Amino acid sequence: MSLNRRDFVKQSAAVGLTVAGTVYLSGVGEPAEAACSKPLRPPGALQEDDFTATCIRCMRCIDACPNKALVPLQQASRLGSPGTPTMQPRKAACMLCMSVEGDYLKCTEACPSGALQLVKKDKEEVQEKVHIGIAELDTDLCYSYNNWSCGACYRACPLAGEAMTIGLWERPTVNPEVCVGCGCCERSCIRYPHAIRVKQEAGA
Amino acid sequence: MMLQIARRMIQISVILLIVVIPWLCLYAHYRAARVVDDEQLMAGMRGEVITQAIHPYLDELEHPEAFLDANKGTVWSMRLAGYDIADPLAAVEMLAASKSIHWPLWLSVLVPVILTLILGKVFCSWICPGYLLFELAGKIRPLLKFAEIPPAEVKFSHKNKYIFLFVGLGITAMFSLPLFALIYPPAVISRALHAWVFGTALTGMLVVLGTMLLVEILISPRWWCQTMCPGGALYGLLGKKRLLRVKLKSSSCTGCQACIPVCEAGINPITQSGSIECDNCGVCLRHCDPAALVFTIGLPTSKNTGQPQHNSKTSNRPAAAMLTLAFWLLWATPVSGHHVLGLPHYSYKENYPQRPTLEYPATTGPYDVLLTSYPGTPTPGEPANLAFYIKNRNTGKVFTDRVKICVLQTSTFGDNVVILPTTERASFDNEHKLQCTFPVDAEYIVELTLVVEGKQEVIPFLLNAGEPTATASIVVAGVSTLLFCFVVVRAVQKKYQRRKLAAQSSSGGQQELVVIG
Repeated sequence: MSLNRRDFVKQSAAVGLTVAGTVYLSGVGEPAEAACSKPLRPPGALQEDDFTATCIRCMRCIDACPNKALVPLQQASRLGSPGTPTMQPRKAACMLCMSVEGDYLKCTEACPSGALQLVKKDKEEVQEKVHIGIAELDTDLCYSYNNWSCGACYRACPLAGEAMTIGLWERPTVNPEVCVGCGCCERSCIRYPHAIRVKQEAGA
Repeated sequence: MMLQIARRMIQISVILLIVVIPWLCLYAHYRAARVVDDEQLMAGMRGEVITQAIHPYLDELEHPEAFLDANKGTVWSMRLAGYDIADPLAAVEMLAASKSIHWPLWLSVLVPVILTLILGKVFCSWICPGYLLFELAGKIRPLLKFAEIPPAEVKFSHKNKYIFLFVGLGITAMFSLPLFALIYPPAVISRALHAWVFGTALTGMLVVLGTMLLVEILISPRWWCQTMCPGGALYGLLGKKRLLRVKLKSSSCTGCQACIPVCEAGINPITQSGSIECDNCGVCLRHCDPAALVFTIGLPTSKNTGQPQHNSKTSNRPAAAMLTLAFWLLWATPVSGHHVLGLPHYSYKENYPQRPTLEYPATTGPYDVLLTSYPGTPTPGEPANLAFYIKNRNTGKVFTDRVKICVLQTSTFGDNVVILPTTERASFDNEHKLQCTFPVDAEYIVELTLVVEGKQEVIPFLLNAGEPTATASIVVAGVSTLLFCFVVVRAVQKKYQRRKLAAQSSSGGQQELVVIG
């Protein structure tokens, strides 16, 4: 193929601009400084880096979640790779598919690419494979630690008594070993800003 | 003609499919939450579609849950009637990004791959919603030409897309971040439709599609599909040795060349119908009056590809492909398994009556400031609660000094309006609280003034009440409407000018005749 210089510049410009635009959209060059506010991933998700590499952004887990807890990350939010699923427990928490039929967590069953590992709906497997995050309590905000008594989060916790224990004046304590980060406590907290919230684990 | 009608029908049904699937999923969500019968929650457009168009029909099914489970996803990767189908590009990209093989994904690309091996790039021309969009966008160009604002017609090389495919895969592998999923039009369009149905933001996707459309309309017609699409490149490579191809019966060809300008792939059907670029759309067949161009089943002949025949080598390929397809269809099973784990431990309306809050974080000096509004998007005319939680991130101590707060309403044109004049607030329960009634749907600024280390700091927070129309979207809508009106007015003007010129020249001719006469 004969290619003169002018044509070469034109074609390279077309390819180059498209590549540059795509790279910009995917957020490849994003600094990792947003690490403190990592997005929460669905249950059974691989580690963050593997997850963003493996997820094909097809929205099937979002379609599958019976609690509508998963939403795609937005380009503008700059929290993570756009199109990947995230969870905002304040709006809707992961209820570990307890109210719906089926043997597996719905989102893990829907995932075509293996970014979400299949998780069976029994307690041991959920404990072992689900690491959405760990609930963190801010005792400056929690009503029960500030002269009131509440206990809403304890009542919401699907692993109440194990992941969360309750003391005098219904003061909650999170057990990070057991907590899977479903976010039901965050969803139920009646304080605003909420006193308990799920954070992605530092190692994940 | 029939072929083109069939193609349009398939394209439209694909679009319908990618709208209907999210609707079904949304219905499944509401069904799981048992709110389908709740009149209050089912108000509005979404609720109407669910209660009237979906619920009565699905409720009659024997296993509605199984049906809903069996339909999910977008064209990028879809579960349709229990079978998984994925775009080969998705699998290739995931392989590059994660450097691991996930067999279910590769099994789900089997059907598209086999179809492409047999039928060629038909995904592009018969299924892809992006192809339809760009085809329709191409129809705007004649209007521009008619208004004598000729759009540029830059020709790019068809080889660019292969370069983009491989460069993109290289970058994907380097950074372990999929690239194509974000710009590949079928994926973007189906995500945008999904977001529209689910009510999540779609600005980012609209910007991508808008940019592509602008290039298509103003700079280079059919630029994306012909010269840039990595998916098209992959399908082209897969379909290089396709069985179904357009063939020219040179005995009937009159050489009118009517097929060249209409070719969607931008090639010359007379000489290049066997090339890798042809996507078997069949448009050239419709425009060929002597019916010299026909679809044939067979391997490429040396005549139209310039390559020797491989008949002996490849003759058993279709049979093998068919066998694989049959094996796969029999082997894959729809999702099954039903199991009820007792009562839900919570549902939307029973345990969780709170309206969601929204948080606006900011920092000043050593302090993290968090403004929480309850409800998240305040309803105009109803009092909303705002709470500031200010905490020292180094010492973990809560800021309990007095602060000043004022609320302003922004205005696109003119000064901001003061809604709540500056008031001083003391800390209560570690928070600075404020109740405020926002009068109308608009953007508001909540200004917090606090003294940090002897210095006065002012932090503005931008907050939406109701559903304000963003200034940017007003500007974009206004400008595009003006541009469209301008083009139409100019087109009409030019038409009249042309008619006048024609009338003048014809009457001038008559006068001459009279003079001569």
